[in-house]
Amino acid sequence: MRYVFMALLLVSCHLSLVSDAHAMHISEGILPFNWAVAWFLVVLPFMAFGLYQLKKLSKDDLSFKPLVGLMAAVVFIISCMPIPVPTAGTCSHPCGTGISGILLGPAISTLVGAVALLIQALFLSHGGLSTWGANILSMGVVGSFAGYITFRTMRALKANLLIAGFMAGLFADWATYASTAAELAAGIRGDSDFLPLFGKILLAFIPTQLPLGILEGAMTAGMVVLLYKKRPDLLVKMRVLKPEEVAI
Amino acid sequence: MHVLTEHSRIDHALARIDARVKILSALVILAMILSYRGFAFPGLVTLICLILTFGMGVRLRVLLLRYSEPLFIAAVIIAVKLLFAGKDPMFSAQFMGIAINGYRDGFLEGLQIANRIVSAVSLIALLGFSTPFAEFIAGLSWFRVPKGFVEILMFAYRYIFVLFDDAQVIYQAQKNRLGYSTLRRGLSSFGTLAGSLTIKAFDHSQSTTVAMMQRGYDGTMPMLKHKPFRLHEVAMTMVLLICLGVLWKI
Repeated sequence: MRYVFMALLLVSCHLSLVSDAHAMHISEGILPFNWAVAWFLVVLPFMAFGLYQLKKLSKDDLSFKPLVGLMAAVVFIISCMPIPVPTAGTCSHPCGTGISGILLGPAISTLVGAVALLIQALFLSHGGLSTWGANILSMGVVGSFAGYITFRTMRALKANLLIAGFMAGLFADWATYASTAAELAAGIRGDSDFLPLFGKILLAFIPTQLPLGILEGAMTAGMVVLLYKKRPDLLVKMRVLKPEEVAI
Repeated sequence: MHVLTEHSRIDHALARIDARVKILSALVILAMILSYRGFAFPGLVTLICLILTFGMGVRLRVLLLRYSEPLFIAAVIIAVKLLFAGKDPMFSAQFMGIAINGYRDGFLEGLQIANRIVSAVSLIALLGFSTPFAEFIAGLSWFRVPKGFVEILMFAYRYIFVLFDDAQVIYQAQKNRLGYSTLRRGLSSFGTLAGSLTIKAFDHSQSTTVAMMQRGYDGTMPMLKHKPFRLHEVAMTMVLLICLGVLWKI
């Protein structure tokens, strides 16, 4: 009860401080040096695999690199756009890596997330260079893989595009924020135990991030359905759907 | 998006320094900030960065916008550390029958992290204000950042502004048609907006590839050629880093 009360107190502080809650990237300077380096080393294999895939796919299709770059620009713009969070009475920002995970695959989507995060760190001070690795892990790796795996699983279970897109956006968002809370707790815990602090951080952000995940799910579903209606050829090209699933 | 536009004065002395020197110095100072235990060094870096940033003619409003998210996160961390971490009691209060305890050591630890955040953000903001993005990208390629990554970074940066203009046109059209009048319609409109941007991104990528192929594109992009390092810049940077290193050690 005490923790719930404290968490609510923190949330009300946070809402009184800002009217526009930003996507929860870990800010520059929060993580101590060893954690900053450790998270960067963790994401390196994912980035290397993404670059390998990029090289392989762009050999056959010269337009693939520009497409990945433009998708990074789309993810950047989406994650800068405010959407209203009714329970918090504020605006927040979606992550956008769920949709790029669905369209480009999780490995390339990790690169997309890394590019968007680097530009955000330099131009908007959202995230940072020292927390780049940690943010790539949560938004790029976890968000992309969660979105991709959820979408594929839902499709395998015969869910339609709307439901599969919604669930992918929802879980990509929630997984991103859960992993961000874990990284934050590990980085700032000092001498405290990890699990209690992780629980408190998670609790403090639930009033904003719980509805935001639902909103991101709705947005992802809307995007996938629009692509299916307007440009089903793109979904086939990006191997989201098989040609027989689309009546072109 | 106006926040995105570069606010640096390219005629300023700091903007003329080689991007590679600035990137390397920023990373070294960042490492010093992150590994420092205390208030003095990050505070000093913040002060120097703010003086240089204002010296470059960056407006206060732009700077405040930059600091809004990091300051919010710093405030949350101070509160979390004050209320949940530490052993040395600072205050105790009752609210609606629930005991709230604050801890002095937790508060100090929170302040230390907040100080680190402000200092690191000031440093990277200064780097962003003083380095045109094209030079930053060229600097990354000199540091042997994989070419594939640098290329998609270039494409992304070039097309952010194009796609943002597209997004604004679609958003305005949706708004004029009451697309954001209710939450349900707002969500639907936002999904359509994001989907339309994806379609436009795909179309732009096709037309860009065709245009580049006509100019000899074979799958790799040429990078900016670097001039040789200027000795006085390297020497001054070394002196600055040594001075900061000594202060960091003290």
